[in-house]
Amino acid sequence: MIKVLLFGAAADRAGTRETELQVEEGVTLAEIWPRLTEMHPDLAPMRDTLAFAVNGEYARKDAGVSPGDEVAVLPPVSGG
Amino acid sequence: MFAMVEEPLDIGALIQDAQRRDCGAIATFVGTTRIDESEGAAVEYLEYEAYRPMADRKLEEIGAEIEGRWDVRHVSIVHRLGRVDPGEASVAIVVAAPRRGPAFEASRYTIERLKEVVPIWKREIWSDGYVWVGSQVGTRDQASGFR
Repeated sequence: MIKVLLFGAAADRAGTRETELQVEEGVTLAEIWPRLTEMHPDLAPMRDTLAFAVNGEYARKDAGVSPGDEVAVLPPVSGG
Repeated sequence: MFAMVEEPLDIGALIQDAQRRDCGAIATFVGTTRIDESEGAAVEYLEYEAYRPMADRKLEEIGAEIEGRWDVRHVSIVHRLGRVDPGEASVAIVVAAPRRGPAFEASRYTIERLKEVVPIWKREIWSDGYVWVGSQVGTRDQASGFR
């Protein structure tokens, strides 16, 4: 299992701030996206605006994810 | 000091903390919540949330980055979380350096970098709904992104 955290507009669209996904070793962020949008279809249109983090650090979409990891779905940041 | 806090920022205390005998300049940037109005509606307040502890770590990384690029001797970055009312300070950046040039440059760089990489999000609460800034997602008619 991986923990998926959602923030800001992504949490809003998904209707949840946290969810879990069953993944096998070596799956990439790009590969888990369709599973996430299957559970939360309203997230799908946000795809191109989002960044991702794995275990608290920005990660590219081809980054690998392992069971036990924490993935975060990050809309465009708007601090300041 | 790098921090995210729920209470109002004490800018005076942050500046006092930055005073050093080896520095001739303290540059302070304070970001405040600007209230926009449109078509009879207005922003009532802002609400900030962050991905912690990643956001805390990113603030520290920016501090380390500017200490590597400029001769600065003190850096504080403090950001509000939760509700921030109109005109209040949402972020304060205080940089002390021996010379004013690096102090100005480093403080400018810090706010630009913060807006690029620190996982913090703001939601505008309007009199007629809300909008996530940057995503245009929300309950107002103008928040039409991704419909």
